[in-house]
Amino acid sequence: MVRLSRGFEERNGLLLERRGDGQLWARTNGAEHAVRVHRCFPWSEPDQFLSLRDAENQEIAMVTHLGELTKESRAALSEALVEAGFVLKVLRISEVDEEVEIRTWKVETEQGPRSFQTKLDDWPWEVPGGGIVIRDVSGDLYHVASPEDLDEKSRKWLWAFVD
Amino acid sequence: MYPVFRRPMRPAEARFFVALNAGWKPAKIEKTMKKKTMDQRIIAKYTDQPDRMPAEVRDAIEGAWGGRPVQLYALTDLDAGMRFTEAWLALGESDVALAREDRGRWDVHSVPRQRLSAISESPGLSGSTLTLLGAPDEPALAVLRYTHRQRRAVENVRFVLEQELEGRIVPPANGDKEYARSVAAPIREAQALVARNQAAVLLRLIGYLGRYRKQVAMGFAAATLITVLSLVPPYLAGYLIDSVVKPVQDGTLPMSRGVFVAWIAVSAMALVYLIRQASALVRLRHMAILGEWVARDLRTELYEHLQRLSLGFYSRKKTGSLITRVSSDTDRLWDFLAFGIVDVSLSAVMLLGLGSVLLSLDLKLGLVMVLPVPLFIWAIFNHGEHLNRFFIRAWRKWSRVTDVLSDTIPGMRVVKAFNQEERESGRFNERNVDVTDEYNRIHHSWTTFWPALMLAVHGTTVGVWAFAVPRLLGTGPEGVTLTAGTFVSFLLYTTMFIGPMEIIGQMARTVQRATTSAHRVFEILDTEPEIVDVQEPVKLTPVEGRIRFEEVSFGYDGVKQVLRGVSFDVEPGEMIGLVGPSGGGKTTVTNLIARFYDVTSGRILVDGVDLRELDTGHYRRQIGMVLQEPYLFYGSVLENIRYGHPEAGLERVLEAAKAANAHDFIVKLPQGYDTIVGERGQNLSGGERQRVSIARAILHDPRVLILDEATSAVDTDTERKIQEAMDRLVAGRTVFAIAHRLSTLHKASRLFVMKDGRLVEAGTHGELLARPGGIYARLHSLQMELQVGGESSINGKTERG
Repeated sequence: MVRLSRGFEERNGLLLERRGDGQLWARTNGAEHAVRVHRCFPWSEPDQFLSLRDAENQEIAMVTHLGELTKESRAALSEALVEAGFVLKVLRISEVDEEVEIRTWKVETEQGPRSFQTKLDDWPWEVPGGGIVIRDVSGDLYHVASPEDLDEKSRKWLWAFVD
Repeated sequence: MYPVFRRPMRPAEARFFVALNAGWKPAKIEKTMKKKTMDQRIIAKYTDQPDRMPAEVRDAIEGAWGGRPVQLYALTDLDAGMRFTEAWLALGESDVALAREDRGRWDVHSVPRQRLSAISESPGLSGSTLTLLGAPDEPALAVLRYTHRQRRAVENVRFVLEQELEGRIVPPANGDKEYARSVAAPIREAQALVARNQAAVLLRLIGYLGRYRKQVAMGFAAATLITVLSLVPPYLAGYLIDSVVKPVQDGTLPMSRGVFVAWIAVSAMALVYLIRQASALVRLRHMAILGEWVARDLRTELYEHLQRLSLGFYSRKKTGSLITRVSSDTDRLWDFLAFGIVDVSLSAVMLLGLGSVLLSLDLKLGLVMVLPVPLFIWAIFNHGEHLNRFFIRAWRKWSRVTDVLSDTIPGMRVVKAFNQEERESGRFNERNVDVTDEYNRIHHSWTTFWPALMLAVHGTTVGVWAFAVPRLLGTGPEGVTLTAGTFVSFLLYTTMFIGPMEIIGQMARTVQRATTSAHRVFEILDTEPEIVDVQEPVKLTPVEGRIRFEEVSFGYDGVKQVLRGVSFDVEPGEMIGLVGPSGGGKTTVTNLIARFYDVTSGRILVDGVDLRELDTGHYRRQIGMVLQEPYLFYGSVLENIRYGHPEAGLERVLEAAKAANAHDFIVKLPQGYDTIVGERGQNLSGGERQRVSIARAILHDPRVLILDEATSAVDTDTERKIQEAMDRLVAGRTVFAIAHRLSTLHKASRLFVMKDGRLVEAGTHGELLARPGGIYARLHSLQMELQVGGESSINGKTERG
């Protein structure tokens, strides 16, 4: 509670930069921390309420809006956000096959082709920002941004899994 | 690929080249050369990545390291732009390297391990970034990005590096094995028996029938007889019309002769039906009973095997899933063995038989009837596949309905407290309507399909009529070419097609369902127990209780160690209090003493003998455990106290119960010692269960006793009673007590403080308190401070410790 309000207060004095060591550094209240960013609402409000946390996973500051940062800080944070919010974007589904206890999906993603497995009773779920997310057995997330805009074959494979 | 460095050819490769020159088939040789482990097969089958580090990458890295081998590695599969790439992170004795492909060759970027000052990981939604940091202000030594699939493998490398930063050396592991295990683990956990072919599973299942050859033979013979006999009545009908009725009507056969033959035919028909139904009785009964036997054998075998499996197996599998395998899966197999196999094989025989009879009766009409049959079977099969998608959808929606139920019914207090009844009803209704629509879609589909299919079948019959009529009446150029009898037989035969067609059409599904169950059952049977006794195990009679740990290290999986080089000596009769923060390794120490797991390195000696040399069963009989959550079985209090010693006399039971301060409350129960405690002892309170379990341990009279926080969540009076009982229980035994409260420790001869898998402090209460800046001293003062507000815990509770 205390920490959160402190984060809000210091918002305006917060400076962020990506340094040579590859890490995102936050300067606030005269102290410096290497931080990583966690979205509080990765699906409902991906660009708001961004928690900056240190190596011990303690919150250093909370960024309510990207807009409240300086231009340089914003650029540094946006870059970190790309990594933190990375999910595989499904463009096409070429096959869904069932086996004993697992379902194998062969998909084409923005990142390249990929096969992954889900448990038979693990279903895709709808996310607030739109589309559905499939979570595989390793915990990787596959986002189908708009299932209705996929090609016909993909839609046919996906039909049983979306409303 | 142009490897920078070429290492000498390995013997297996040398054989390969010799073999090539000798003109052998390379494919075959390659197969024997690269025998893949189960994990590697899983990676090859289910993922798009190599099942091990490719030889050219290894060559390039080891070349850059002057020939020193790669010890551990991981794939980092994302580039800076977060697109898939193939880059390898490798760990050597003194270096860490990253190999990236660059225009056909592997570009190796290597840094000495000494240069690392810190490692930072930023986990994201579906990918993580690992940064290897050098000196402050120096650019990062390496930035690696990877999806969660690679996470375990990367964590292995990271673990070793982090340990090194803290000055600990992790012994080198088998890199290929750890990589394959890390990547395959999630798939294996979801489905352990991967990539087994269906036919092999089916054959193995049928193998279980072998024991009952006689019954199988009888069942099959009866079923074959039924099939053959059902072909007779239509033939007889045709014969009766053509050779008796018509000749008599035409006057070519005398009436008396006609009546005689007709009665013989009628009697034959009666006999056929009689034999047929008798065979049906034999078949149904034999196969049903036989199926039960096989299911029983499987259940027994499964349960016995489950008892032999080590605890490691149970921590990987869900209890519910194991119960299903012993219960519903074997039941499904009964169905398949009793009826499925026979139905499917005889339907095929029936279709062939019918086809040949029809074709031999009349070739042209036969063709009209037989040709569409494969089409119908295909349609039935296709319909099943089509319905499958509907079923998945309905299943998904149905699970949404049950989700609401399993959420809200146990949480009804919360629902009511927040006044959300209406919203919950609304949520349920919406999903209920949704699933009903889905089911109705299925009904819509099959109710359309079957009448349509039957229409097509009848269409064929109409086709037969259309072809037959001119030939029956003789309006064609060739005159009458078909007799009424043949036609009648024909029509009767056509009605017999439907049943077998349906069975064959659904065969794929029947077989698949059975193999799925068989898979799940065999998966357990194929799991080897991790703890196995040596050829000639030692029996210590009795165990004195001298326990010695020599540099014991242990990890539940992978390279992560939960215990690191733990050494201690415990004399018989000593009571050791294990204390320290959660995850320090306390429970692991007790698990190793009970030999639930074997050490990874080092050894444990009991009375001077290596634990692995002992007869496990005999040794465990001399070990007692009182756990945090005492586990009672369904049955009477008496049976529970006597669990380890069913033959113990009643006097000894009373004695044990009295020593455990349990006698009084047990006698007050309406049915005394014969009171049924219910499943898991639910009819007793926590403190009562605890005391029954202490009585059980006292009766068991173990030489070595393991206590895991025996006094939690009970009132002060009960705690005092339990404490008294404990004091009596521990007397004269070697005791390891995992203590979360200081009060449990007042009798301890020594305390061991466990932290991060190490034994960091050991000594008496007084000695440890006197140690300035000691962990125990700190925990103790913390507890003293908190005790103002009542009892509190000095350790976090943990499953594994």
